[in-house]
Amino acid sequence: MSADARFLAAEPGCHLFPGEGEAGCGFEAPSVGMFSPEPWLGGIPGSDGIDLYLVLLLVALGASLLLWSWFSKKLNLVPGRRQGVGEMFVLFIRDQITRPTMGAKGDKFIPLMTAIFTLILFMNVSGLIPGMLPVNSDLSFPAMFALFIFVLTLVVGMRQQGGWGYIRNQIFPPGMPKPIYILVTPIEALSVFLIRPLTHALRLFATMFAGSLLLAVFAYGGWYMLSLGAEPALAGLSVLFSGAALIGYLLFFLFEILIMLVQAFIFTLLASLYLNGSLESAH
Amino acid sequence: MDIAAIEGSINSVGYGISVIGAGIGVGLVFGMGMQAIARQPEARGPLQTNIFLGFALIEALAILGFVLAFAI
Repeated sequence: MSADARFLAAEPGCHLFPGEGEAGCGFEAPSVGMFSPEPWLGGIPGSDGIDLYLVLLLVALGASLLLWSWFSKKLNLVPGRRQGVGEMFVLFIRDQITRPTMGAKGDKFIPLMTAIFTLILFMNVSGLIPGMLPVNSDLSFPAMFALFIFVLTLVVGMRQQGGWGYIRNQIFPPGMPKPIYILVTPIEALSVFLIRPLTHALRLFATMFAGSLLLAVFAYGGWYMLSLGAEPALAGLSVLFSGAALIGYLLFFLFEILIMLVQAFIFTLLASLYLNGSLESAH
Repeated sequence: MDIAAIEGSINSVGYGISVIGAGIGVGLVFGMGMQAIARQPEARGPLQTNIFLGFALIEALAILGFVLAFAI
C-alpha cells in the first residue's frame, strides 16, 4: 500500500451515495501507508531521502531553538514578562519532573529535560496541521530519543557507581533474601536493559501513530460520506452523516492536543526516572 | 458451512483484547495511587515516582500488543 491510499477517498465522485450516472465505489480507509510519504529527493543511500518527516523535524528543531533563544535573550536578575514566562516553563520542568524523581542532585539535568520536552512537544504538534504528520509517528525519531536516554543512563550510572556496581545495583536489588534473586534477576535484567528503552520509544510512537490515524479516518470518512450529488433525500442524510464525522473529528482533535502534551510530559518524566536509577544506587 | 467467517487479519481484535488487561492495570495503579496520596499527602513525591514506574511497566504490555498487531 503506497501513499496514494490517503488521497483515494478524496477523489471526486467517490462518495457514499453515488449521483446520477456515477459509479459508486467503496470506502478506502487511510492505512498505514499514509505514514510513509513519497520522498521529494530519494536515492540517498541508507535513508528514506528528503521527505515530509525530515522537513517537519527541521521546522520543530528550529522552532524550539528560536523559542528558547528568544526566552533567554538579555537575561536580567529581575525578570521581565518574556523572561518570566520562560522561567515559568523551566520551573514547571523542575518542580513537576526532575525534583520529584531525582531530587536536588538532578538539577544539572534540567536543561536537558527542558530541551527534550520542548522538542518532543513541537515534533508532536506538527500533526495538528491538516495534511501534516506528527514527526514522532515515524518510529525512528522516538527511537533515537530513547537510545540517547538509554546510553545516557548507562554512562551516568557507570560514572556514579562504577561499571559493575551499576549493573549489580540494577539486576540484584539489595535487601532481598538470597533465593528470591533466581526470580528477580532475569526479570530485572530484561526489564532494565531491553523492555525499558524499547517501550520508552514505542509509547511515544504508538500514541502519535494511532492518534493521527484516527484523525485521518474521521477526516476521510467525513469527506466520503458527504455526497451532495445524490438525490435530495440522500444528500441531506449524507450531510448529517458527515456532520457527525466532523464533530467526531473536532472532539478527537482536542483530545489529540491533550495526548500530545501528556506524551511529551511522560517521555520526559520517564527519562528522568530512568536517570534517577543511575544517580542513586538503590531505593 | 461457515457460520462465522472472518477474512483478513484479526490482529487488531487481538490487540483490543490485550488492552483490556493493561487498561485494568493502569486504572488500578492510578486509582490506588490517588488513594495513597489522599491518605498521606506529604508522601506525594515518592508515591508519584512509583505510580509512574508501575504505569510504565503495565503500559509496556499494551505497547507490546500494539507492536505485535502490526508485526505478525
